[in-house]
Amino acid sequence: MEPLIGVNASPMACASLAPSAPIWQDILAQAMTGELLAAMNYTSLSEICDDPAEVADALEHAQGERGHAAAFAAEGRKIGVEVSNNVDAKHWKRLRDGFMRCIVDRDFIGCLIVQEIMLESFAVASYSRVGKAAPGSLGKAFARIAAEEEDHVDHAMSILRTERALDAGRFDDKVYRLHLDVMTTLAQMLAKECKDGHCEVCHANCVKPSLFEVSLSAAELRGASLRQYLKTLDMLGIPGEVTLAWVTQLPV
Amino acid sequence: MGDSVAGVASRGRTTEVDFALIGHQESWRAAADVLAFLRGPQRTPLPDDEIKDILPWIPPRAVCHVDVGSTVGAKTSGLYIDSFIPPDRLEAAYVHENIGRVRAAAAYAIKAGAKIVSLGGFSSILIEGNFDQLPQRHDTVFTTGNTLTVAFIVQGIKKMCALEGRNIRRSTLLIVGATGDVGSGCARCLAPIVSRVQLSARNVERLRRLAAELQADGVQVEIATDLQRFSAEADVVICAASLPSPSLLLGRIAPHAIVCDAGYPKNLSPSAQMLGTKVFFGGLGQITGGLRFAPDFHGILNRHPFPDVVHGCLLEGMALALERRFEAFSQGRGSITQERVEEIETIAARHGIYLAPLYNADGPVEDGLHCQTEWA
Repeated sequence: MEPLIGVNASPMACASLAPSAPIWQDILAQAMTGELLAAMNYTSLSEICDDPAEVADALEHAQGERGHAAAFAAEGRKIGVEVSNNVDAKHWKRLRDGFMRCIVDRDFIGCLIVQEIMLESFAVASYSRVGKAAPGSLGKAFARIAAEEEDHVDHAMSILRTERALDAGRFDDKVYRLHLDVMTTLAQMLAKECKDGHCEVCHANCVKPSLFEVSLSAAELRGASLRQYLKTLDMLGIPGEVTLAWVTQLPV
Repeated sequence: MGDSVAGVASRGRTTEVDFALIGHQESWRAAADVLAFLRGPQRTPLPDDEIKDILPWIPPRAVCHVDVGSTVGAKTSGLYIDSFIPPDRLEAAYVHENIGRVRAAAAYAIKAGAKIVSLGGFSSILIEGNFDQLPQRHDTVFTTGNTLTVAFIVQGIKKMCALEGRNIRRSTLLIVGATGDVGSGCARCLAPIVSRVQLSARNVERLRRLAAELQADGVQVEIATDLQRFSAEADVVICAASLPSPSLLLGRIAPHAIVCDAGYPKNLSPSAQMLGTKVFFGGLGQITGGLRFAPDFHGILNRHPFPDVVHGCLLEGMALALERRFEAFSQGRGSITQERVEEIETIAARHGIYLAPLYNADGPVEDGLHCQTEWA
């Protein structure tokens, strides 16, 4: 499928990014889908919060994530492509289902672990790398959103550290259980090749083999994401030798 | 034996950390074995290309717990922390990146509460002249471990000479990489007992200073940056150069010379001129009071043909921890003396840490010794 050219695109931006526009279109589609999924997750989270301040916080995060999705769509228009999204695409749906299992269990801590530790590690690391590789306004948008995502991880970290201090063993077991569910899916998404067929987000063929054309690679995005995840788990205080085994056991 | 990976997959171990050992894998095969062990037998080992893609992204962290026993009943516990320096990035071009990894590993050791940290392998080479770049905390000390490495190299040379029926007092000793911490320490220990000394290194000024120091004690010394320029053939050789790969070619050595490959990673390149030489790997010690890894990385992290063999640089931290002497025993470059070597030898021996059986790439060099593990 050919990229759709938006009528509001700046001619200069279109000209400079024209050959790589289909690649950026897919990268933006993945990012936008992730942001919309995060918005849905925070909205669901607000429904199980008892504390009105937590409800407000979750809804504010949901709004922020919708803003990020809109920003990615706007960046697409600037380079002359329409950015689609598909929160029902197979991998993203599995991630949403994993989060919703925590919602059904009214497991506020589990929700934070999935969203803030796992999904946000992936977002912060990959947006940061894309922010460095993407030119102009597009790069700035990714870098800005990466920084914003990192900011709200800090708030969740203090809640999670407090929770771990109560019972480290039980907490680490919970993280491990969620890791097996969520990180297995994320690892499949981050694999160098999509071995299970089309991801249902890229507009045509899988974008991964083309990433080198925009100075990125699937291996780099996976490596940066897993490193961010390990560092986040370190900040929680989970022993490094434990998390190392978790990560090396993920599918490739 | 130690716990399996499955046993620690979801839980850490909460024991006091006396020491930390900072190391890295010296080959992709070694790295692959570590990752395969961590993945467990039920999962397919990672393909080589995936290992090369993933390993550089792993931040420095503990890989396993290490428990060491002493023959006099003392016990100590610690961590092995891998800096995950990729085996193909040991060259000078990556020095800043690698110092950053060692710094992060050091910070990890401090956070774990280690009282003494041994810098293994290339980590000590990177840091020996840059100790100020390590993070500081008053209750954690760092040692390069080079003094015990020197002790085991010197003991190995003496043992090999005895095995070969050579009179070390009549020998010409060549040290390649002589101005480094290990090389200069070996020079100070062996110069008084050999006939003459040849020192080789890249930095002429440092060579001159070391030569002057030895000559002041009446030692006959020759220096050269080019190995071909020495006036005589050496019959005892120590290769202690800081090279990232087996690229060191020896020339102008006696046909039956004793050669100690003391580099890390081993950096001596086999060549036709060395066919008759007696090569052994130097700087290795053996723990006889018990060594346990959890998870059980035996034979994976210490890939030697004999049990419980460990590099001297790492053993120094363990020996000092068994002795409850949490001090920065080896720091800086060029300050290893014969007295300090004797002191650390005594401490190590008190706890049953001795020179490892001598071996090389072909196996044991001592008659009657057999490898306990398959080794290639």
